[in-house]
Amino acid sequence: MLNEEKIRLMTEIAMFEKKARKEVFPINRYFKGDYISSHLIRSFAAYTFTCAICLALWILYRSEELLNTMDIKIFTDYAKNLAVYYVTGLLFYLAITWWVYFRRYTAANKNMKIYQAKLRRLEKKYEASASRESEGEQR
Amino acid sequence: MMMGLLVFKENMKRLYAKCSLYLIPAVKFCLGFGVFYLINENIGFMARLKNPVIAVVLGLIASFVPCGVTAFFAGCFMIAHVAQVSLEVALILLVFILVVMMLYYGFRPGDGYLLLLTPVLFFVNIPYFVPLLVGLSGSLVSIVPVSCGVCVYYIIMYLKQNAGVLAGSTMSEMAARFLQIVKNVFGNELMWVMVAAFAAAILVVFLIKNLSVDYAWSIAIVAGVITQLAVIFIGDFNFNLPISASSMVIGIVLSVLLALIYQFFVFAVDYSRTEYLQYEDDEYYYYVKAVPKLAVSAPDVKVRRINSRKAVKH
Repeated sequence: MLNEEKIRLMTEIAMFEKKARKEVFPINRYFKGDYISSHLIRSFAAYTFTCAICLALWILYRSEELLNTMDIKIFTDYAKNLAVYYVTGLLFYLAITWWVYFRRYTAANKNMKIYQAKLRRLEKKYEASASRESEGEQR
Repeated sequence: MMMGLLVFKENMKRLYAKCSLYLIPAVKFCLGFGVFYLINENIGFMARLKNPVIAVVLGLIASFVPCGVTAFFAGCFMIAHVAQVSLEVALILLVFILVVMMLYYGFRPGDGYLLLLTPVLFFVNIPYFVPLLVGLSGSLVSIVPVSCGVCVYYIIMYLKQNAGVLAGSTMSEMAARFLQIVKNVFGNELMWVMVAAFAAAILVVFLIKNLSVDYAWSIAIVAGVITQLAVIFIGDFNFNLPISASSMVIGIVLSVLLALIYQFFVFAVDYSRTEYLQYEDDEYYYYVKAVPKLAVSAPDVKVRRINSRKAVKH
């Protein structure tokens, strides 16, 4: 006979698994520190790359001015300013990255615990139905 | 009237459940084709790509690939057209899209389509729908792709308006031309006013939608439109912007209509039957507001044929 409660539980688990395949399971393979630091490294690379292309565009934009003023002091001033902007932006972007992935890991961990609790409940239901069947056979 | 609409909604749901396997690719084809066709119509500078057959083929590809991939193809398609007229504008557009993709889409938020949808809806004169849609269904972070979409549209418009001048200039003037383009594109007050209007509208719609008041979604739509209008008027007052009042009014009316249709299909509730409950457990008091969903069962029409028996001739 169909056990409606068991079917509902299995459906919930299957739905979670379908959703979690992309979002929760890949996150849960890592320790929290590893997961966040890997994303921090990726963000650092992405930020540096975008800064490099923006810098190229900026050089193109001010090429005439730069060629006209071939003064080392002005260039070093430019370099200092750019380094300050780069480091400030980088710190801000890394802080956002840390916050986003910290929250994502915490949420995935919480969902995983709920999923495991549901699996345990299902297992208990199977055990209960198996023991009922064995009792019936003994009689 | 309302009953008829609800029955229609139920029928649509049934149809979707029954034929989603064919409906999803068909809708994606229509969207993909529409996007490539609109790009061709508005900035179709490259004669080879302007062929409608290419838009159909790309639409067919779009029907089988995820929306993000279609957005990527559309971005490349747009840059190819732009590069035909001005390499500098193509470069600015490419760098702009790359920066957004690397910094924002690195977080995989799944709203890549907004970067493309915003300029496309500008082309069909209903851009005011975007902040309403995003405020109702998205999150506050979506302000980033919508704002970038507005910038993409105004970069394209700059190119469209100055195509003759930009195409006629020589390579030796490249640096000076680049300087002029950057100044004109990023010094465009209308673009920044629209960015501010859309961002403010998304914020207002999102905040009001989440309030615990009756008709929160409808109030949010109206407030979103008023916010957009207010910011645009303030911008117009300060910078004397070149905005056509008639096309703006038509665009806003159409946007509100679309937002109301979206609300009807996504969020239909009956506030007249709202229940307020109060109970407690060991730790908390609970104040619950339960609003029933508006739903009807679609009439199950069966056609029974009653054929009169024909006399058998021997």
